[in-house]
Amino acid sequence: MNSAPALAQIDPSSTGRGLSLTALWTLYSFSLRQHRHGKRWIIMAALMLLPAGLALLVRNTAHNVPGVALEFVFAFMFIPQALLPLVALIYASGMIQDEQEEQTITYLLIRPIPKWALYVMKLLATLTVAVVLTVVFTSLTYAVIYWGADNHGQNILLRCLKASSIHATAVAAYCCLFGLMSLMAKRILIVGILYIAIFEGLFANLAFGIRLLTVIYYTRLIAYRTLPFIVSTPFGTQDFAAEAWQLDVRNDPKLLEHPQFGTCLIVLFVSSLVLTALAAFICSRREFYVKTAEKG
Amino acid sequence: MCSEPFGKIAGPAEVRPIVAFHEVSKWYGNVIGLNKLTIQIPAGVTGLLGPNGAGKSTLLQLATGQLYPSQGTVRVLGQPVWNNPSLNRCIGLCPEQDAFYEWMTGWDFLYTSARLGGLSRPDARDATGRTLDAVGMTTHKGRAIRGYSKGMRQRIKIAQALVHGPQVLFLDEPMAGTDPVARRALMDIIQRLGSEGKSVVVSSHVLHEVQSLTPNIILLNRGRLLAEGQVRQIRDLIDKHPHHIVLVCDASRKLASRLVSWDDVEGIRMLPGGKALMVETRSPDAFYGRLPQLSFEDGTEIKEVYSDDDNLEAVFKYLVNK
Repeated sequence: MNSAPALAQIDPSSTGRGLSLTALWTLYSFSLRQHRHGKRWIIMAALMLLPAGLALLVRNTAHNVPGVALEFVFAFMFIPQALLPLVALIYASGMIQDEQEEQTITYLLIRPIPKWALYVMKLLATLTVAVVLTVVFTSLTYAVIYWGADNHGQNILLRCLKASSIHATAVAAYCCLFGLMSLMAKRILIVGILYIAIFEGLFANLAFGIRLLTVIYYTRLIAYRTLPFIVSTPFGTQDFAAEAWQLDVRNDPKLLEHPQFGTCLIVLFVSSLVLTALAAFICSRREFYVKTAEKG
Repeated sequence: MCSEPFGKIAGPAEVRPIVAFHEVSKWYGNVIGLNKLTIQIPAGVTGLLGPNGAGKSTLLQLATGQLYPSQGTVRVLGQPVWNNPSLNRCIGLCPEQDAFYEWMTGWDFLYTSARLGGLSRPDARDATGRTLDAVGMTTHKGRAIRGYSKGMRQRIKIAQALVHGPQVLFLDEPMAGTDPVARRALMDIIQRLGSEGKSVVVSSHVLHEVQSLTPNIILLNRGRLLAEGQVRQIRDLIDKHPHHIVLVCDASRKLASRLVSWDDVEGIRMLPGGKALMVETRSPDAFYGRLPQLSFEDGTEIKEVYSDDDNLEAVFKYLVNK
């Protein structure tokens, strides 16, 4: 050991003084690798396989169910209502908390990276993983629903593309929301599930103004304004979406009382940015305790 | 970059503080971590000594900007540390906790640490290689950290604190839980850091560990500064109390039969479970000094050595009541 070489002497000019893009990029790519090495994505992938699996089951047992109906139930009820918030909750809640619980956050806090940037980079990596999972499994669900059906083709590809984009937007908004909540609540999983059940489940299905506070409301509006969900049945044509989503198309056929497509997108985008900025601000002022003898 | 803020500190070189705490208190709810601590740590190697819960880790976490003082000010290299990420280019921390990204290899961990420190790819590769060499981990660089022994884990933890070439190093209990051979190797590393001009603050609850690294010590107890200065000033106090050292070893009876013949051993007690024994000695320096040789000569594998806190507590109680 005594003959070991001298320790690293770094040229100070190579590290700079300000915000280091090298450090930020390393943190982003390192966080992506953490996702890959965790087991969480396997659980998430298994969950996200559910709609495709159920669609396959229905297609093989009830041949008369139209593809649009399956698409509506699995791609626009099951995925955005149940899976996307759950995926976002599980991923976003662990961004900082996992590092803190595993006591590895120290290795990040002692680098020349501001704490707000630490949060933002972690969030970006989480968004990347959540969006990729969402797009892959939404596409898989579409493939299962429409594969071998008569009406597949360009139209279905476009619907799949739109659905994937809508889901990606929704899961990103959920990630930003739960990322902030994870900094404010200790039992984030319980709080998050309660939020999903009460706000995104109950309130979003009430035809009152309170649903304007939910992510799912804007997601549904974007879906309704960009994709038709009208199915011909023996009893006439049926608008699944309007009924299920409490949209009063009889009295307001153009949904003038509801936000337009662009407004919905802007609301989701801006609120995601605001939530991220707020979380980054909280992060920048927060002490991240790791267990020591003094703190017990 | 790292030397610039240090250079700005006024006064003669020998009194320039690397770390300055002024009236610093830190509470965790009702629990006090540090209590109105005013201290100036000069350049060089300094030992931070105190029993568990004395405030050592709190002090190091405050000095590295992880915690915000409830009261008072903390400055390192003349700069405030809270929310000052640029300062992290000049400091390195080896944390107390045995926590790692277990799936990473040693090389990967160091390279990522260097890149997180803002080093370019070639610089990071170069620094990683040299730091691995310096801590004697080159041959193990390709193995996942989860497969490392305690000594290797401590070495790689020190390496991540060094890889970006900091001016000041904070090492929190770097020798905790290591066997005598690993302990000797870690001490060599720390001594070499000091001789290379790094300022090192090493925390420990074992006086004999610290005094072999540096004569400059700071004594903390219950969040307060008890004493600071040369280690010999408190040696007399220490020697009045028998020192208790726990040795963890599978062949503990065989080890006990060897140790009982040593002149500096006053008593040996087998601990429950039969895998550890407690040695009582009034010459801990000599005892610690002979332990590595015992492992080499006899092939007796001592897995862990640690000093029982009670002994140090007794010294602290003595100092408090003095």
